[in-house]
Amino acid sequence: MSLLRPSVVWTRVKASAAWRSLFRHGYEDTRRNRLLQTASNVFLHLHPTTTPASGLRFSYTWGLGGLSLLLFVVLTLTGVLLMFYYVPDTRRAFDDMKDIEHVVPFGQFLRNLHRWAAHAMVITVWLHMLRVFLTSSYKPPREFNWGVGVALLVFTLLLSFSGYLLPWDQIAFWAITVGTNMATATPLLGAEGPFSLVTYDNDIRFLILGSRFVGQSALLRFYVLHCLALPLAAAVLMAVHFWRVRKDKFSAKAAPPSSSVAAEATAESPVAAGPAVAGNASPARDRAAPASRGVDVWPHLVAIEFLAMLVALVALQAWSMWVDAPLEEVASPTNTPNPAKAPWYFLGLQEMLVYFDPWIAGVVLPALIIVGLILLPYLDSNPAGVGVYTLRRRRYAGSVFLIGFFLWVGFILVGQFFRGPGWIWYWPWESWEVHKPVYEKTWNFPWPVGLAAIVGYVALGLHLPRRLRPAVFGTISWGRYATLMLLVLGMLALPIKMVLRLAFDVHYVLVTPWFRI
Amino acid sequence: MAEGGYGTARPARPPAGEGSDAAATVWMPRRDWLARVTWWGFLGSLVAMSGASLRMMFPRVTFDPPATFRAGRPEEYAVGTVSERWKKRHRVWVVRTAEGFFALSAKCTHLGCTPNWIETEGKFKCPCHGSGFDPSGVNFEGPAPRPLERFRIALAEDGQLLVDRSRSFRQEAGEWDRPEAFLPFAG
Repeated sequence: MSLLRPSVVWTRVKASAAWRSLFRHGYEDTRRNRLLQTASNVFLHLHPTTTPASGLRFSYTWGLGGLSLLLFVVLTLTGVLLMFYYVPDTRRAFDDMKDIEHVVPFGQFLRNLHRWAAHAMVITVWLHMLRVFLTSSYKPPREFNWGVGVALLVFTLLLSFSGYLLPWDQIAFWAITVGTNMATATPLLGAEGPFSLVTYDNDIRFLILGSRFVGQSALLRFYVLHCLALPLAAAVLMAVHFWRVRKDKFSAKAAPPSSSVAAEATAESPVAAGPAVAGNASPARDRAAPASRGVDVWPHLVAIEFLAMLVALVALQAWSMWVDAPLEEVASPTNTPNPAKAPWYFLGLQEMLVYFDPWIAGVVLPALIIVGLILLPYLDSNPAGVGVYTLRRRRYAGSVFLIGFFLWVGFILVGQFFRGPGWIWYWPWESWEVHKPVYEKTWNFPWPVGLAAIVGYVALGLHLPRRLRPAVFGTISWGRYATLMLLVLGMLALPIKMVLRLAFDVHYVLVTPWFRI
Repeated sequence: MAEGGYGTARPARPPAGEGSDAAATVWMPRRDWLARVTWWGFLGSLVAMSGASLRMMFPRVTFDPPATFRAGRPEEYAVGTVSERWKKRHRVWVVRTAEGFFALSAKCTHLGCTPNWIETEGKFKCPCHGSGFDPSGVNFEGPAPRPLERFRIALAEDGQLLVDRSRSFRQEAGEWDRPEAFLPFAG
């Protein structure tokens, strides 16, 4: 009889081998259990067991890296669910989308979650990069992890781009048509690029599409890339990224003592207590580790992460109940929507296409952006500012990066809000119904002038900074300096060409038989 | 295999015969040789595997729609018009001038969007980035780098127009003057 008393049953269950194998340590609030909570769980052990209190400040990280991971997980889960109802066949893909929206229970909601999480992830990854730049968290010893982060940014964009084709509606078809046609303009490896070595049947676009046109093979390739190859590669890179974050130590500098957690950490300073000793100490005493060691990740960091996750999930779900992901008419190869806009995060590229030929705007400049970002920690030799928000002590790096960042954002805003039919400038309050004929009479520099202008631009750009600011630019090696200046000159070429085009109607600065700039 | 460098740094394998004539031949130690062959074999197989994987992504056969189509009888087209009759199905404009016919590809030379024929302004206008082409297909505004392409056009045995999209002609290469790029017709 007494054997069936709940307390006895409970005790026996907790004493059983099965229970003890699932819950491998106690829940009493002791330091030992706190450390075990982090260290004996495969998911939590991505964290260290303790972390500096400064790294917990929300206003330092804004939780952006963690949010990006959360969105990736949301995308994986919703993506798997969507895969149960979607067949990548041009004859039925669009109908499957309609089924998901109107027939499948919660299909529209899950699709909305997937679409909005993807957009949100692009934003959080960008802002995460901006945050890491502003706190100089890419400087030694974190150069390698910054490079991994740039690769993850590229994978985020590729995942978005590959997913864009799958609904097989008009915007999908035309965004991918325009996007992959840019690959045709690749120097050497594109059929229409400068110094082309290939034909339409073996160039890069053919590799991407499996054909000369966006069709069945392209849909299948994008599907496999989107659902399998790219997420796997991104997941591997994420593992590397998080592991390196931990190995390189968190970058945050000590917090001001006003922070409550920090106060808690510094107020108590128990004698150096190893886990075994602390395990026997009273819970009140070992609330936190000594300030030098930081605070325990469980519960301090995990609680913040959990809260941030809850808030983000609530916001995402509310938004997904409110706003439906767009779906246009079924793809039609002979009818281009007007205007045919790329997904918003690629509108910067599309706007650059106004000013430069596709081989520059679609291939060279994006490649330079990626290479420049990866090289940033090696080019910026200024050690100042690690772990704090400061621009004052790093004016040059700060201005170059922020000019680039806001150029990109500005181009996206222009493409999204100021471009109408025919990619003509329309103010947001103007109706697209009003037809705007454009009679732009553009002209080109004669080639000797153009050649002189470009050579002069590069030569002056390489010479002047070192001459005028030897204290800043004279101390770095020539190779590093030249790489830095060429990247900066490449970036500044964009606004310069914009001004030349918009104010002086210049089409090309340099015209050669092989390429035009 | 590279010669030299082994005999001095590492003990060479003792020559089989007497020292005098065999001293000219310096042998790589067997372990080094095996290690080197293995590494090169491994790297070679990696390169070969990558090459095979890459080549696999370029199919021999693609299942695209047929390239040629019959576009009706010449008399069906009025002189001086741009016909949009085949644009939806075949992405081609058939243009009738006083001298004859040519078939214009409805694919913008900038990034491959489908331009629209704007009758009132007498031009082709691309919706993507605003490139404009005159009725002959020559670009005059916007970012398009070159004129629209023309396709091979001929008269089939049954008297219909025959358009072949697998053979295109570029104005900037002087190909529009070729006989297959233009079908003289005075009907």
